[in-house]
Amino acid sequence: MAIKPVLHIVQRDFKYFFRYKWWVAGMISMNLADLFIMAIVYTRMVNPDIITDYFVFFAPGLTITALFAAAFMIGREINMEVRREISHYMLSLPIKRWELAIGRVLAGGLRGIIYMAPLLVTTLIITYIYTSVFPHPLQFLTIVLALFLISIGTSGLSIALAVSTTSFEKYITARGVVYYVLFFCSTVFYPMNLIQTALPQLVLLAQYNPLSCGADLSRAFLLGNPPFSPFMLVDIALFALIFASLATFAYMKVTQK
Amino acid sequence: MISLKKVWTVAERDIRMFLRYKFLLIMRAIWFVSQIALFGLVVNRMFRPDVQSAVGGNYFNYYAAGIIITMLYSTTVFIGYDIYEEADHGVIEYLLSVPVSRKELVLGRSIGGGLRSFLYVGPMMLFVLYLIGVSNVLQLFAALLSLFLFTFGVAGFSITLAVSIKSSDRFDILMGVIDALIVRLSTTLYPIAYMPSPYQGIASINPLTFAADLFRWGAGLESAALVPPMLAVLSIVVFFSMFTFFGIFLHERKLEGGGWQ
Repeated sequence: MAIKPVLHIVQRDFKYFFRYKWWVAGMISMNLADLFIMAIVYTRMVNPDIITDYFVFFAPGLTITALFAAAFMIGREINMEVRREISHYMLSLPIKRWELAIGRVLAGGLRGIIYMAPLLVTTLIITYIYTSVFPHPLQFLTIVLALFLISIGTSGLSIALAVSTTSFEKYITARGVVYYVLFFCSTVFYPMNLIQTALPQLVLLAQYNPLSCGADLSRAFLLGNPPFSPFMLVDIALFALIFASLATFAYMKVTQK
Repeated sequence: MISLKKVWTVAERDIRMFLRYKFLLIMRAIWFVSQIALFGLVVNRMFRPDVQSAVGGNYFNYYAAGIIITMLYSTTVFIGYDIYEEADHGVIEYLLSVPVSRKELVLGRSIGGGLRSFLYVGPMMLFVLYLIGVSNVLQLFAALLSLFLFTFGVAGFSITLAVSIKSSDRFDILMGVIDALIVRLSTTLYPIAYMPSPYQGIASINPLTFAADLFRWGAGLESAALVPPMLAVLSIVVFFSMFTFFGIFLHERKLEGGGWQ
């Protein structure tokens, strides 16, 4: 496999990301408002027996939501390209199909990581101020690796959804359901024991949800609770592997039609 | 002299146009269901007993009522995007050529923008009212009437911004930022008493606070509605008057001589 063509595709998709200025601005303001307004107010309302400090608890979760939303964006573009047959132009480029497919999955993942990076720094600062704990290099690398894998998996998931239908309405519906179910059936906003009491039917989904594993893995190293478990990394790695492969094959198949 | 028939024709067109935004309607509906059935149910168990008492006994009901106001706001502001798109596609020239006066056109757009969001959110509102359980129909009727004015005011607000800002990118960014702040700095999601004082100041003059508290009062969650209903109604009337008439005035002026181009 030639790396250069893949990098060209990654570079192209990455540049395209900054065309959506309004989306990025809206997302940044929403993320910051969630952290510095909603989380601060919730901190004054939450039962301390359940969460000691909601603001600190939520900060690592916020990086995951930002990463997920940014990495998910690539699916919308690919669905539009499939509907408008722009993919025909992509096929005319001197790039192999699978290089094209891999490049797109990687680009989606990279978007998530780049968008999330300033929020991760904010989270590190917040958790350091509140807990005086800073992860040591290996822990920090584990967090970054886990976030990168979630980003790749999310990009793959959104591409697999995007190429599964040419109907925009069906795609938007599927995207909405997947997006919100993964968001709210996770430990991004609340701990697992609350999900267990409020929605026991969805505990399994919440446990295996890569967003839960990512949020809990970051909390394990930044806040010390919940404890780190290798299962978290395995779950995230499997999610990334399955959806990156699925997206690559689905994208290749769609462009062959 | 304004012809109500012509105003209604313009409003009706905007209501029909709303159905074009299938993606928006689907996404908002899914968002509503997930907010109520997932986030609302879990978060309800997260708060202290004194918070539950302060919000009328059950945070879930408080939250569900707030989500309705958020939906009303976010679907109404879409009229501003319509105006931008029409300017882009040359539809405004066509609209100016129809036998409808400028005032009728702009008034119709403001009413249509508010009414279509009310029609869309209506079934969800009924569902939330069913969950909460209405205790006083007259109170509810008064609240709904004020919420009508609220949506017209929001439509006027969106039109005012759309015609004041020429770049669609800037408009998009501004709307995104306002959307993020206006909802969180209001009592749609939490009571004012738990906000830090700088946030309280903004929330106490935020039209979404008045709308949310009024809806809760109408639905029978009187103890959760901290703004007195008369004050909330009055504030919504002021908001409606200010933005509807300002929006009409500004839009009408921009329409003359191609100021939208």
